[in-house]
Amino acid sequence: MTGRQLIGASLRPGMHALLPERLRRMHIGKLLRRLGSIFWMTLGYTFIFSPIIVVAGSSFDGSSLDLRGNSAFLNFPPENFTFEWYTRISSSLYQALWISFSMASIAAACGIVLGVPAALALIRGTFPGRIILGTLFRAPLQIPFIVIGLAFLQAYYEVGALIGLQLRATFAGLVIGHVFVATPYVVGSVGAVLQRFNVSLEEAALSLGASRWRTFKRVTLPIIMPGVLAGGIYAFLVSFGDVTISLFLTGPNINPLPVEIFFALDREFDPTIPAMATIVIVGSGLLLYVIQRLVGIDILLRGGGNG
Amino acid sequence: MKANWVVVLAPPFLVCMTLLFGTQYVFLQLGFFRDLGIGQVGTELELFNYIRAFTEPFFLNALRLNFVLAVAVVAITLIVAYPIAYIVARMTPKWSIVFLTAMVVSSFVSIVIKVLGIIIIFGADGPVNRFLRWTGIIEEQILVIGTKSGVIMGLTHLGIAFMVMMLFSVIQSIPRSLEEAAEIHGASRWRVFWRVVIPLSMPGVVSASLLLFNIAMGAFVSAVLLGGGKVMTLPVVIQRTILLYTEYGMAAALSGMLMLFVFAVNIVSVVAVTRMRAARFAVT
Repeated sequence: MTGRQLIGASLRPGMHALLPERLRRMHIGKLLRRLGSIFWMTLGYTFIFSPIIVVAGSSFDGSSLDLRGNSAFLNFPPENFTFEWYTRISSSLYQALWISFSMASIAAACGIVLGVPAALALIRGTFPGRIILGTLFRAPLQIPFIVIGLAFLQAYYEVGALIGLQLRATFAGLVIGHVFVATPYVVGSVGAVLQRFNVSLEEAALSLGASRWRTFKRVTLPIIMPGVLAGGIYAFLVSFGDVTISLFLTGPNINPLPVEIFFALDREFDPTIPAMATIVIVGSGLLLYVIQRLVGIDILLRGGGNG
Repeated sequence: MKANWVVVLAPPFLVCMTLLFGTQYVFLQLGFFRDLGIGQVGTELELFNYIRAFTEPFFLNALRLNFVLAVAVVAITLIVAYPIAYIVARMTPKWSIVFLTAMVVSSFVSIVIKVLGIIIIFGADGPVNRFLRWTGIIEEQILVIGTKSGVIMGLTHLGIAFMVMMLFSVIQSIPRSLEEAAEIHGASRWRVFWRVVIPLSMPGVVSASLLLFNIAMGAFVSAVLLGGGKVMTLPVVIQRTILLYTEYGMAAALSGMLMLFVFAVNIVSVVAVTRMRAARFAVT
């Protein structure tokens, strides 16, 4: 029996009726490959999604409610289904969520403002040294985040000592650190889009008498828009989910949510954390849905961001 | 035209390079000054911290552990992610979008939330331990949190979505007709996979692996939370040097060591791969 034999051929005639037509016509090797593929995909996707499902599920676990959160840990699958943890989420966690959201939005916006002109100049310009400059613009993604965090912390000390500008443990300081890592994502994804489309479109607009600004607004911008959005979304996500950089730049009352979760896991567990994390997961899902409805999800799949 | 683009580039260039070189200079130069305690550093330039970093077994062990973990993460991620990327790339476009979107969804969720999930899954009373005890395979609980495998698990989670998305675009760019041609000439599916698909995707595999390696070398959150303070990788040691001893000079030297090492590994692998390809083309 070889892999190329049809499944139907290896069966006794009477058993044919038991198998659907499609399966009977399949090679045995192909069937094994199919089963192997399904097995591997199931394994991989289960592995990827298990933590997310478990966090969402355990946020409804009521088995340790009577312990009043004292060293309580949550179980999965949830027992004694409850919404109690959602009502107990402290206002400081909501504030942390708001700080994360506003910080990531501002960082992504600044990343776009800095990254789009940089990408345009780096791809469309003809000046020497563009490759080195491109590498420098992408450099922040090559530096470990802990080194970025520490370097900004030290630089803020220095700036404070030199000109008295206090950036350490301020919201502005936090945002600047995040703009630093947000910009390369926009430069990368806008650059990738620009490289794909032909400069002659812009030249045509210019030669037909459009002004530079009009050419940019009516020709270049619509073309690079998917890249801008993809870069902006990735920048937002990296900033929104970051712990390591924020850890060194935050201070009291301006902890972003991931830092609060980090502290809760590193020091004392807070059973409302899974509930808050579930709210964030649902929020991310909604964001993805909005992206899908407005521009289509595939802008994120086509080489957007640098990972 | 020429001057025009320089004007466009100048503002973002100034901002980004000030942030890049300014912060890195202020921090890394501290590595050349001796720590005096309570966060102060000396005034004399010396290599004291770097000599410590490259000679003391504690720091060298941290670097070695860091390297071993990162290599393990890249290897496991490749084994899991490559077949998935291949399967997804050879699906009908409608389905491949669905499966890729699922990967994007998972990468939308912050690493701390995933780590929280892993801690619950492998907790003493978590589903894995309860299941294994129920089946009678184990009597006591298996420990994952606070071990190297815990850290590898967390980083693999991060890596798979990243790797599948990177490899998908690599494999998709390999024309299917090449596989069909090999098959018509009598190659088995396995042979096609090993002799056509994998060699053609090698450049993409190498660059994706290096990117993931760099991420894994600098990983901090999983190393701290899933390592439970017992897995001392270099980023964890750097944080402790600041947090417990406030030795900014030493932390800067260790950061320098980490970045030098990562940089060296990248250069060496790129050169090695280029040589290997050149040698292969010379033979055929």
